[in-house]
Amino acid sequence: MTGVTPIEVAQAREPRAAHPNREVVFQVRDLAALYGTSPAVRGVTFDIYRNMVTAIIGPSGCGKSTFIRCLNRMNDLVPGARVEGEILHHGQNLYGDGIDPVQVRRWIGMVFQRPNPFPKSIYDNVAWGLKVHGLKDDLDGRVERALQSAALWDEVKDRLRGNALGLSGGQQQRLCIARAIAVEPEVILMDEPASALDPIATTRIEDLMHELKNQYTIVIVTHNMQQAARVADMTAFFSLEVDPDGQRTGVLIEYDETPKIFTQPSDKRTEDYVTGRFG
Amino acid sequence: MRISFQEELDTLQSTLLEEGQLVLRALRGAINALEQRDPELADEVIAFDDEVDRQYFAIQEGIQSLLARQTPVAVDLRLVLAMLHTNLHLERTADYCVTIAKLTKLVYDISPDPKLVEAFEEMASRGEEMIRVALDSFAKRDLAVAETLVDLDESIDLANRRVVQHILALGSNPALREWGLRMIIVSRCLERIGDHAVDIGEQTAYLVTGEFREFTDASHPGSPAS
Repeated sequence: MTGVTPIEVAQAREPRAAHPNREVVFQVRDLAALYGTSPAVRGVTFDIYRNMVTAIIGPSGCGKSTFIRCLNRMNDLVPGARVEGEILHHGQNLYGDGIDPVQVRRWIGMVFQRPNPFPKSIYDNVAWGLKVHGLKDDLDGRVERALQSAALWDEVKDRLRGNALGLSGGQQQRLCIARAIAVEPEVILMDEPASALDPIATTRIEDLMHELKNQYTIVIVTHNMQQAARVADMTAFFSLEVDPDGQRTGVLIEYDETPKIFTQPSDKRTEDYVTGRFG
Repeated sequence: MRISFQEELDTLQSTLLEEGQLVLRALRGAINALEQRDPELADEVIAFDDEVDRQYFAIQEGIQSLLARQTPVAVDLRLVLAMLHTNLHLERTADYCVTIAKLTKLVYDISPDPKLVEAFEEMASRGEEMIRVALDSFAKRDLAVAETLVDLDESIDLANRRVVQHILALGSNPALREWGLRMIIVSRCLERIGDHAVDIGEQTAYLVTGEFREFTDASHPGSPAS
């Protein structure tokens, strides 16, 4: 057998220019998220674009979920958690004075790993957020539109008063997506939205993301790299750095268009991760 | 680390490089049969193509299976795609050797022009060198070496043009004319073998850089390929 030289990354090229035609939704600038005094992630700087799916990938513990929770101030709910640096949402600092976290979460919705419908009717699950935010006009119409957008309407239209917990896991997750989009957010954050679902239900969620990005900006955390490759326009790879004290911190290694990340990543660490040689 | 996946990639590459060695044997056999006017050796070259084809199909199947099961990405994906192309280039090169052998059988009873035999030997030696350089650059991921194939190819192209000029000057002797027509195709086969070696070099470049490009642009000679 002829010797094979060590695997090399594609030769680094000039960094790509910023994308002038894309509207920036989030400008993340030197962001650190800390629990107590130890940073879970630090030094994160990149832009997230409108009407695109942006995937956050990386090994366990690299701060993917912590990062995505910073985007709608979900970490505010964790005692001892705080952020440094900036997240500008259309130029406005999400953590600035006078910003109401509840309003932030209305514009920037979230779907979690485990479908978590309330033990109420399908209808009430979707209507609840609308009522909380005072969107009470045309409630029936808003519920229907949200269920249709989440590709669930046809399956549940005849049992809207039935208990949401009677739905399958995949249906429950789409109900949670309907609940998130009912209040007409601008951004939907998804934290491993399909990891608890079977392949068919996963495909439906992925198809749904393709549909929804026409109207919304989507940021998804996923352990499943092929899922990132399938659904995301942009991919950010986070990894762990270990300092001499053994402190492990998540850092952004590389951010680029998804095809680039999966064909010729610029950083050896990204290459090692996506090819399964690390992590 | 995906150990079995890496082993599969390594095995595929070594099978590909072995296929390259078979192609070199086919080329040497075809040229020896031509120079020595040996129809039996030509038959052996023709039969030997089955060996090359076996390797070719084994690599195709291996790549198909690997794509279906392992979803390679990044450098692994580039390697798989580069092997897919290189496999085809090698198989085509072996086919040219078969064509040379078949043409040899058609004209072995005609006394060859020593100048032309000399030219073919030169072209074939250069072709062998190019295949070796192409395979070596692939195995070593050596872009600089791969790029030298363009200059090597230039000398085959020049020899091809000289052969054509020489055959055109052979005159009206019917026996020589038939021989000459056959030999123009031999020359063309050797010239194409050089082109395929350059194409393998381009696969090395893709593997290393991730960019698809031709070393030279045939439709815009003299300008660097974009």
